[in-house]
Amino acid sequence: MSTPHSPAAHGGEEIEIALLAPKFEEHAFPWRQIFGYAASLVLTLGALLLVERHVLAPTALLVVILALAAIQAGLQLGLFMHLRESAGATWHVVTLAIGIGVAIGIVIFSIWIMTFKSGVS
Amino acid sequence: MTVQAHPAQQTQMPLEFRDSHETLGILGFWLFLASDVVLFACLFAVYAVFHGRVAAGPTPLQIFHLGPVLTETVLLLTSSFTCGIGIFMMRRGRTKALMAWLALTMLLGLAFVGMEITEFTTDVATFGTWHQSAFLSSFFTLVGTHGGHVSFGILWAAALLVRLWRQGITQATARRVYTFSLYWHFLDIIWIFLFTVVYLSGKIT
Repeated sequence: MSTPHSPAAHGGEEIEIALLAPKFEEHAFPWRQIFGYAASLVLTLGALLLVERHVLAPTALLVVILALAAIQAGLQLGLFMHLRESAGATWHVVTLAIGIGVAIGIVIFSIWIMTFKSGVS
Repeated sequence: MTVQAHPAQQTQMPLEFRDSHETLGILGFWLFLASDVVLFACLFAVYAVFHGRVAAGPTPLQIFHLGPVLTETVLLLTSSFTCGIGIFMMRRGRTKALMAWLALTMLLGLAFVGMEITEFTTDVATFGTWHQSAFLSSFFTLVGTHGGHVSFGILWAAALLVRLWRQGITQATARRVYTFSLYWHFLDIIWIFLFTVVYLSGKIT
C-alpha cells in the first residue's frame, strides 16, 4: 500500500507512516465513554459469572477470562484513553506496544523458568 | 524525523495539544506509563510464580471474597468513566462541569482505596502479615503497589481541582488534567488484570 504524497503545502511535514497518523474524535454526546463503560461492566460481570459457575475446565477458563481482560483493556485504551490522539505521529503507541511486549515476556518467561524444575523432577 | 501537524489542524486540536511544549509533556507521560507497565509486569510475574507457595498461611481460595472485590472493581471502573466524562466536558470548555466530574472521580477513588485498606487490615488480622508466606508477600506487594498508585492519583486530582478553581481551563491546566486522565484510566486497566489474574484466578480450582 502506498500513501499518496501530497506536497507539504501546509508548511508541516506529512506523516510518513499511515498507521501512526493521529486521529481526534469528538461527538456532541459522550457515546464513546458510555459504550466503553457499559462494555467494561458486561465483560467484568461475564468473567465473574464464568468463574462462579465453573463452566469450563480450569485451564480453558483461565484462558477465556484473560482474553476477556485483554479485550476490556483494549476497549479502555481506545475509548477512554484516546490512544490515537497526538499532535504529530503517534509514537507513544509504538513505545506502549514495546512496553506491553516486554511485560508479556517478563511474565511468561518467569513462569516458564521458575516452574521448569518441577517439570523435570 | 519530526512530524508536525498542519497549522490549520492545530487550531482545531484540543487545547492541550496546541502548544508543542505541553504536547511533549503528554508524550513523556506516555513513556512513563509504558515503563509502569513493565513495573507491574514484574510484580505480576512474581505473583504468578509464588501464588501457590502458601506455606502455613492461607490459600487464595480462603482469603479472597469476590463480593467486596466486585464492588471495588465497579467503583474504580465508574471512576474511570467519570474521569472520561470530565475530559469530554473540558473539551467543551465547561470548567464547572469538569471540576464536578473530577471531584466525583476523586471520591470514587477514595471509596476504592478505603475498601482496599479494609480488605488488607481484615486479611492481616485474620491470616497474618506478608511475612506469612511467599503468596501473601507477592499478593500484598502487587495489590498494594496498585493501591499506592491510586492513592497518589487522589492527591493529584485534589491538586488539579485547586489549580482549576484558580486558573480555569488553560493550555497548561488542560494538559495536566489530560495526563491525569491517562494515569487514572491506566490504573483501571491494571486493575482489570489484578481482578482477573489475582482474584478470579484464585477461585478457579
